[in-house]
Amino acid sequence: MRGFGEVAERLRRSTVQVHSHSGRGSGSGVIWSADGLIVTNAHVARQGGLEVELWDGRRLPARLLARDVRRDLASVRVAAASLDAAAPADSSTLRPGELVIAVGSPLGFAGAVSTGVIHSVGPIGGMGNRPWIRAQVRLAPGNSGGPLANAEGRVVGINTAIIDGLGVAVPANDAVYFVRSGPRPSLGATLQPVSAGSVIVDLEPGGAAAMASLRAGDLLLLSPGELYDALDSGQPAIRLRFLRGAPSTDRLPVREAVVRLGERAAEAA
Amino acid sequence: MANELAALSSEIAEVVERAASSVAAVHARPRFSSSGVFWRPGIIVTAEHTIRRQEEITVTLPGGGTAPATFAGGDAGTDIAVLKVEEPGAPAVLATADPAAGHLALALGRSENSGINATLGIVSAISGPWRTWRGGRLDRYIRLDLTLYPASSGGPVLNVAGETIGIATSALSRIAGLAVPASTINRVIDEVLARGRVARGYLGVGLQPVELPDHQKGLIVLSLEPQGPAAQAGVLIGDVLVSLAGEAVADTDDIQTALELKGVGQAIEALVVRGGAPRTLSVTIGERPGSK
Repeated sequence: MRGFGEVAERLRRSTVQVHSHSGRGSGSGVIWSADGLIVTNAHVARQGGLEVELWDGRRLPARLLARDVRRDLASVRVAAASLDAAAPADSSTLRPGELVIAVGSPLGFAGAVSTGVIHSVGPIGGMGNRPWIRAQVRLAPGNSGGPLANAEGRVVGINTAIIDGLGVAVPANDAVYFVRSGPRPSLGATLQPVSAGSVIVDLEPGGAAAMASLRAGDLLLLSPGELYDALDSGQPAIRLRFLRGAPSTDRLPVREAVVRLGERAAEAA
Repeated sequence: MANELAALSSEIAEVVERAASSVAAVHARPRFSSSGVFWRPGIIVTAEHTIRRQEEITVTLPGGGTAPATFAGGDAGTDIAVLKVEEPGAPAVLATADPAAGHLALALGRSENSGINATLGIVSAISGPWRTWRGGRLDRYIRLDLTLYPASSGGPVLNVAGETIGIATSALSRIAGLAVPASTINRVIDEVLARGRVARGYLGVGLQPVELPDHQKGLIVLSLEPQGPAAQAGVLIGDVLVSLAGEAVADTDDIQTALELKGVGQAIEALVVRGGAPRTLSVTIGERPGSK
């Protein structure tokens, strides 16, 4: 019987370790094309100065190409040829119960394998309304950015997080879209949902929100879900209504900001 | 590239797909939903410990719609709650054969956002009737080696054929998830639909295990509820109860079992030893006060 061992062996050759020079942590990545394109998590490839370690031990400097923080995806490139690229599967046809296998470097053990089944596919509260894959596989830090593959060894998702003990992966179709079209528009801000909307906790310098003169502490009058819908609407700019100032008995005036999303996408292309 | 692993994977997914039509999400507690199974037309069973309110319960149906559900009753002892919905639903196909240790087991659940979910594991142990720490009796002890996530309690546990062997609960054992067996669920549904609750049998006696001079084991009556079922039957403090409904009783668990096998309102024979002489009394099983 063609077992997990054989599938794992092929998958290992398409899995890399991603180290950052800043020395803080490492993760995994998936070889996306034989000529050196690698997909990993945005939280693994934070900035330039990356190094990629192949399954055979070769270490290559890597250049960061693009990041999509909302989908937690990043693409990096190494100068190499004839790499064993992974084959993506169509993640839209995934069904709960399908067998899956994860390869990565959990806690630094390169090429470690864990297996399980697809638990569910769908949105996760507070993480936007795009679907995520939840899998009953035991993951650990270091699996991040590595492949989640089906019984045929085709990549169905990029392992990203562990929530309530379940592995959470970005569907492969989103990774395919990301590699082809670049990151989805991002606000460039960290938000905290509150009953009235979303409070900006932190701003990315030069991000779309900062360019629109939004500030930390501003209360956007829409939920994170509504905001993601607006960002995904395909509009080059979106209007956001917000409140600014200390909450008090006085009624704050509702302000409006026009956030341009174009520049970000252009920079990534 | 067809291979056996892919075939197995696809088979498991098909089992999940087929059984999904009888799995609902149950919204009856804050933060987490739980799962439930259409057991009979219009009847959903779930894990009792996940029901934190008895009003304004809603369910997410297999088709994706939401429907109100009414709490028909429950039994904390076996961790089973019975809900009624308008929708007849597609009742689960129940397993006819007992599972065995080592068999694959699938636990299904449903959540409002992401639909059906599945976890795979094995039946890790199985044995005969088992009393839960909550006081109920399961017809079988079915221990699962699979991870039960917060929202999957109350969902069906399937065998490899896709038949339901019971519902999953994480609340009856500290060391593992259990499947509450289908036969126990049927018994509880019958009682809940007939009476709105599972009545617990009651004798109204305080008992202590003792050994009689002939090495026979029994239970000595240390206290007696005035006007309780035993007192009315003529039981006295100091009597040693040696059998109930024809079954020898050596500890208080045996009493519980004997009471469960008969049921409230039925008369059973109690054999007591009083002053060295055996005596048979007829006790009508009462209902434990305060059992709702």
